[in-house]
Amino acid sequence: MAASESSRYLARSLPRAFVPTVRPQGLCLRRNVSGQTAPADLNELESATSLASMASSDAVKSFDPIARSSQRKKQLPRSRYQFRSPKYDRGPLHPHQPPPPSDPSSRLYIPGPFSLPRVEQTYQSTVASDILTLCYVHNPPGFKPPPKAARLRSWDDSSPYHKNRPLRGPRGGDVLRLLRKPINFNNVPKLERITIHSYIKQAAQENSSWLHVAGMAVQAITNAKVETFKSKTSVATWSIVPGRDTVAVKAELRGEDMLHFFGKLVDVVLPRIKDWEGVKGSSGDSSGNITFGLEPENVALFPEIEVNYDMYPPKMIPGCHITVHTSAKTDKDARLLLSAMGIPFYGKIVN
Amino acid sequence: MRSLSPILASLANALKIPLSSAPTRPSITQLSNELLKKPARTFTTTNPLLKRKTNAPRGDRRVTLIRYFLWHPLTPRPLRFSRTRFLRHWTIHRAWQLHQAQQRNARELELQRQWQAMNAACEELRTGAGDGGKLFRKSMNKRAVFTDLFPIEYGRLQTEGPSQEGWNHEWKRMVK
Repeated sequence: MAASESSRYLARSLPRAFVPTVRPQGLCLRRNVSGQTAPADLNELESATSLASMASSDAVKSFDPIARSSQRKKQLPRSRYQFRSPKYDRGPLHPHQPPPPSDPSSRLYIPGPFSLPRVEQTYQSTVASDILTLCYVHNPPGFKPPPKAARLRSWDDSSPYHKNRPLRGPRGGDVLRLLRKPINFNNVPKLERITIHSYIKQAAQENSSWLHVAGMAVQAITNAKVETFKSKTSVATWSIVPGRDTVAVKAELRGEDMLHFFGKLVDVVLPRIKDWEGVKGSSGDSSGNITFGLEPENVALFPEIEVNYDMYPPKMIPGCHITVHTSAKTDKDARLLLSAMGIPFYGKIVN
Repeated sequence: MRSLSPILASLANALKIPLSSAPTRPSITQLSNELLKKPARTFTTTNPLLKRKTNAPRGDRRVTLIRYFLWHPLTPRPLRFSRTRFLRHWTIHRAWQLHQAQQRNARELELQRQWQAMNAACEELRTGAGDGGKLFRKSMNKRAVFTDLFPIEYGRLQTEGPSQEGWNHEWKRMVK
């Protein structure tokens, strides 16, 4: 014990680089012993279930919980100490810390998942390996890619004022784009999140009912709470003043909600849009996020709004912009992923 | 009858105290009984919004309902479990995480296996096919991959079984 204590202090006093780590650093897949469960060891467990009751039958017959509770003068106290998660974050040094979000007593706890979405099953069974095959580039063993020039250029020291300047931006503009690594089994692009954004100019021109109906419609189709935003820009023709008018709602979807939304979009809504050619080939922010818009009559095609169409004022159903954020680093990879998942593209493909 | 000061008289009038010849101080019980005899407000179940005059400006009823449900508090209080229920929950949670990790590992290993098989096949095509690497060069051609993308017939979410109609033999690809 004492030896282990001293070694712990020794390890703490050493710089970080010298301390031996338990896990090898270069391993891409982590495997734990606890993950390798062997089903043969289950005979150590008790065979009888612990949930079965062993009360005698006449005690069970005479037990009348309704009569007992009506005889009781006041409510029973709770059986155990109940932990309450702190309502506000008071910093890491406060003694009352919130539990991890997986704990049901946490305020961030979300139960689920309750389903295995079709989008996820399709992606895992077919799309991932097909994209991996399509993007495969063979390099012979021992191949080393030629070294590339640094993306941030240094200044030529033609002027004494170049000293201590920050490095120059890349050629042809100041935007430092994301690096695209060749796609291999570790970085097959996948869906990360979907953002639904709706700008309602009538919320500033008329009254707030436009915003409320739009928020309700977006909540209905996404199963997520929306955020509202004030306008940042001034649009004189719409009489919109920055900072005064709340004009936009946004919902951000991840995980199960996102996959269900994407499934509804691809299976139900997009095929029923009249004369829709697809998403424009030039769409995208050149870092793997594709945006397209839906008109109000297309938003009304979502099954949640369609079954309940009478409860929305028809002129107030909003149009929206849908941004699909993928883990791809360039638009062409993101487009490949989305076309494999059922979103068509038209026109000239621009990267 | 003894005359009262005007302040006391108005107070007596407001509190409905009979001005007797022998004035007694009003007790609390007497006061409350007096107040209780008169009902403050008749009981009604009518919504005050509905009681309003019909010609008064009233918004769209759908918007009113939408506003009601929009501000309805949605977040319940956190769950509080007793010891055994918490333990049960924790066990199931850990088992589910373990299961998910195993599935994720299996999928990653499967992709890695496929990639390595492709690597071996391409290396064989490059060196051992005996055609000077022509097939290999053809197979590495990525010309239309990022412009033609996947065909739209492929981009379809998989279902458990085929549709009711089975296969539509009349379907033709749309010509632009």
